Amino acid sequence: MLEIYHWEPNGASLVPLIVLHEKGQVFASHYVDWLRLEQLGAVPQPVLEVQENLEIEGPVLIDDGEQVCESFFMAEYLDERFAAPPLKPRTPQGAWRVQVWGRFLGERIAPAIATLGVHRFFVPAMRSRASELASAIERMAKPERREAWRAALTGEISAEILAESRRRAGSLIERIESALEGGRSWLVEDTYGLADIAAFSLAMSLPKLAPQLCGAERAGAMLRWIDRMRARPAVRAALASTRTGRPDEAFAPGPEHARWG
Amino acid sequence: MLKIYHWEPNANSGKPLLAATEKGVPFESVYIDMRKFEHHTPQYLAINPLGVIPAAMHDGMNLYESTAIMEYIDAAFDGPALRPREALGRWRMRWWMKFADEYYAPAVSMTAWSRNRSMGQHAGESRAEIEKRIAAIPQKERQVSWSKAIFGTFTDEEMADSERRVRHAARVVEAALSRGPWLAGDSYSLADMTMFCQSYGVPLREDSPVNDRNTPRTMEWLRTIAERPATQAAWALGRAWKTERLAHLRRPQ
Repeated sequence: MLEIYHWEPNGASLVPLIVLHEKGQVFASHYVDWLRLEQLGAVPQPVLEVQENLEIEGPVLIDDGEQVCESFFMAEYLDERFAAPPLKPRTPQGAWRVQVWGRFLGERIAPAIATLGVHRFFVPAMRSRASELASAIERMAKPERREAWRAALTGEISAEILAESRRRAGSLIERIESALEGGRSWLVEDTYGLADIAAFSLAMSLPKLAPQLCGAERAGAMLRWIDRMRARPAVRAALASTRTGRPDEAFAPGPEHARWG
Repeated sequence: MLKIYHWEPNANSGKPLLAATEKGVPFESVYIDMRKFEHHTPQYLAINPLGVIPAAMHDGMNLYESTAIMEYIDAAFDGPALRPREALGRWRMRWWMKFADEYYAPAVSMTAWSRNRSMGQHAGESRAEIEKRIAAIPQKERQVSWSKAIFGTFTDEEMADSERRVRHAARVVEAALSRGPWLAGDSYSLADMTMFCQSYGVPLREDSPVNDRNTPRTMEWLRTIAERPATQAAWALGRAWKTERLAHLRRPQ
């Protein structure tokens, strides 16, 4: 039996929801409102990896009692668990390409998109609730998590980090554009798969977070690819789990920016 | 033939070397001296435009990202399995590789730099010359990191936080090894190789959180990995002052 604890279908939560629908798997969805800190204590007896998860806030999958976290690895897990349809090339070269995307998106891009999203949507909505949430934040076990929430709730994000985050958003667009060059439809070997799903979960909100980067001239191929993604039944089904109607505005404090190179 | 471009068998450079020696695949080892910034020369950038080490070449493809190269090596060549066969084991392996690379390793590096600031500098090199070499680094994040490291501009707060993370990571690894002999499950995998490469030097530190008293399982795990023939073979690809790096893990007689 499959269950998944997730928030709005954006970013890390969106990835496994799309994969589950693509695989046609029946699963129990536990919607958890991260802005009310409902994720604290939601997963019964979290295993070590869930407690230490570097995503800070992320979905948790439970498969016949076994817990899995970290959205990209969760996607690889589901693809290996349920073979059809395949979402990763079976060649070593193709699998390498997908994993390079996974690393780039997780290490470089997810923190940047989270920063831009927190700045634009989380801060205005949540700043007034800082004192209300303070004691729950104190009870978070990981200092990095407490720090991420406290920093986000002050609304103070340095101009440097914002500029760096915009630069990274630009590099995501460039990489997508480059992968789609020559009229290709999908990011890796022109075959739909995990790279598209993971990149879409982060790129989906770019038209709102960085409209100046999303003009037709420099992001035309990406915009068409976003439309192609949104047209897929599995993506529509995943996005339909929204309770706010605006999943691309759903952001909570995200993973840390890489501290060293 | 598989070619691996690497520096010393340590941290990211050690990872594909160890995967290749464990897999038993013959490869050409190309040593690139990062202290001389050989990975930023035009010749190297022609092979690897990102200017990162390690890199690999196989069947006409330029491969980078050490973690992804390790999985490639396991998938592309015959030899013992370096990854669990089942999905859950592979998931756990990947989680621990990320924890090693993105949480533990940066904290280890940052605190190691503070203990050995001379790395990255050539004797008598002027500040202008150092800055010129740093400017040749293709990736901006690395320019910032190298600048901070060489010019000692990490704050005391950043250093203290890194020390805390090293201690925390050491406890987390010990907790993981309390569940079983290897990080991803019942067999030695890329997760253990990665974690070894990123953390094998930690017991050498003054006041280390990793020692026989605090982390007995981790010490046993480190010694077991260090004495494997494949580890010895990978470490033999180092040079000069780093070749005795595994001495502290020899079993006491």
